Amino acid sequence: MASRGKLTKKDIDTLAVLSIFEQVPFSYERMQAGGYTCCMGYVLDKIYADDPEQKADALKRNMTFINTEPHMATFMLGLQASLEEAGEDRDLIMNIRNGLFGPFAGLGDAIFWFTLLPVTATICCSMAAEGNPLGPIIYIVLWFLLAILPRIWFCRLGYKLGTKAVDLIADNAPAIAKAAGILGVLVVGGLIPSYVAFAFNEGLVLIGGVPVQGIFDSVLPNILQLGIVLLFWFLMKKKNVSSVTLIGIILVASVVLTYFNILAY
Amino acid sequence: MQITLVQGILLAIMAFVAGIDNQTEAFFWFRPMTTAFLAGLILGDVQLGCKCAAIAELAFAGLLTVGGTVPPDALVAGVMTTVIAYTNPSLTPEAALGVSFGFALIMQYVGVGTNTFYAYFHKAMDKKAEAGDVKGLWRIAIGSLSIKAAIYAIVVFLSAYAMQDVMQTVVNVFPEWIVNGLSVAGGIMPAVGLAQLLVVMMNNSNMPYLFIGFVAATTIQMGNILPLAIVGAAIAVLSYMNKGSEGGQSDGI
Repeated sequence: MASRGKLTKKDIDTLAVLSIFEQVPFSYERMQAGGYTCCMGYVLDKIYADDPEQKADALKRNMTFINTEPHMATFMLGLQASLEEAGEDRDLIMNIRNGLFGPFAGLGDAIFWFTLLPVTATICCSMAAEGNPLGPIIYIVLWFLLAILPRIWFCRLGYKLGTKAVDLIADNAPAIAKAAGILGVLVVGGLIPSYVAFAFNEGLVLIGGVPVQGIFDSVLPNILQLGIVLLFWFLMKKKNVSSVTLIGIILVASVVLTYFNILAY
Repeated sequence: MQITLVQGILLAIMAFVAGIDNQTEAFFWFRPMTTAFLAGLILGDVQLGCKCAAIAELAFAGLLTVGGTVPPDALVAGVMTTVIAYTNPSLTPEAALGVSFGFALIMQYVGVGTNTFYAYFHKAMDKKAEAGDVKGLWRIAIGSLSIKAAIYAIVVFLSAYAMQDVMQTVVNVFPEWIVNGLSVAGGIMPAVGLAQLLVVMMNNSNMPYLFIGFVAATTIQMGNILPLAIVGAAIAVLSYMNKGSEGGQSDGI
């Protein structure tokens, strides 16, 4: 690799911290293009200090659509910094950028949003529910570390791997995405019993005095909660019902059904 | 109980900081776990803040901004759950959560608005990029961030302090059956969020894991989701390694 040494280790760590702003200003049109370009701008300023044309060209081309997971974006920033520093072809760099942000979005969502957030939140919720302030305090401190440390690690890794990362990711991305999907779906299944609350009123009985809720409980506890999640999934995925519409229906239906003593409160 | 002007300003400052995090999604401090707790701290009722944090966090569990969608706003819901429970001692935290959904929905539309409007910030950034002006790029980015955070601060100040008498009057005329219904809705709401996660993640090949996770959590006594997450991570690693052996290459990352 040619012309190494324009970026120091400190520069890469600073890039990792600056990547906190990778999503600013988020817009529907180009999503994270602006924030991502700002972060790249920090290293481009150093790499192309004597070549304003190259810098402007790189900045301009980064202002195109990108949407990835903010914590994982640092890997891409580190990788792209390494490629720019090595003077790789700009078309190649942009192809790598545009090809990687999708897989990284899926990977980052599965790790940070569907696993780490629910795991830390449920642990801290169980403390907070008893009125123990340690729950929220641990959450706040823990997420300070989880927001910073992986960023620095991912950014260094992306920078170190450079072009090697591309083959590595191309070979592994489908398998990683599949593995991440398994983890995410399993955790969601496990969250249903404790997160969703739904039960028929004890007074709601069939002819002969058999309570309706008792029937469901004897089949499988929490089966109604699972059924509701699958019903909502079906409505959103297959019938394109929006979450706002669903929430509106839930608010009205809950009030009505509770009023007529069909649902328990 | 009344919220003082000082408390209202402190709540607004807290909303400003959490509002920055809501846009960057870096520290997850925009979640009700943080905002409801800090609101309790500011109002001088830490216990209430903790309880509201747990209830609102669970209700907004799956309502995440995945793939560019804007869900009902968790930040404002967290603050307002604590504020409403504090100013209306007759309401349980669950019922306060139900009332707070109104504010969460208002803020959701503000979020959709800024996400639309911020396309113009990108147009302005195009010009700075062409000029090679990195400082200019950052100025626009930080400016847009400040605007959104300021909107949060204003909305929270108005909702928590300026409108508290109106709120109390409205809540007081709420019949009990509406409050009960809102509590029930608060319990069902996480199902929307979890279903939304599944819309993004679930496909035919990993659907069985949903049932494995569900049955395990239903039948095995667990304090939290961590044991199941470890099992899930182990299965994920196995799945990844099997794939590697089929392809001949098994480079780990």
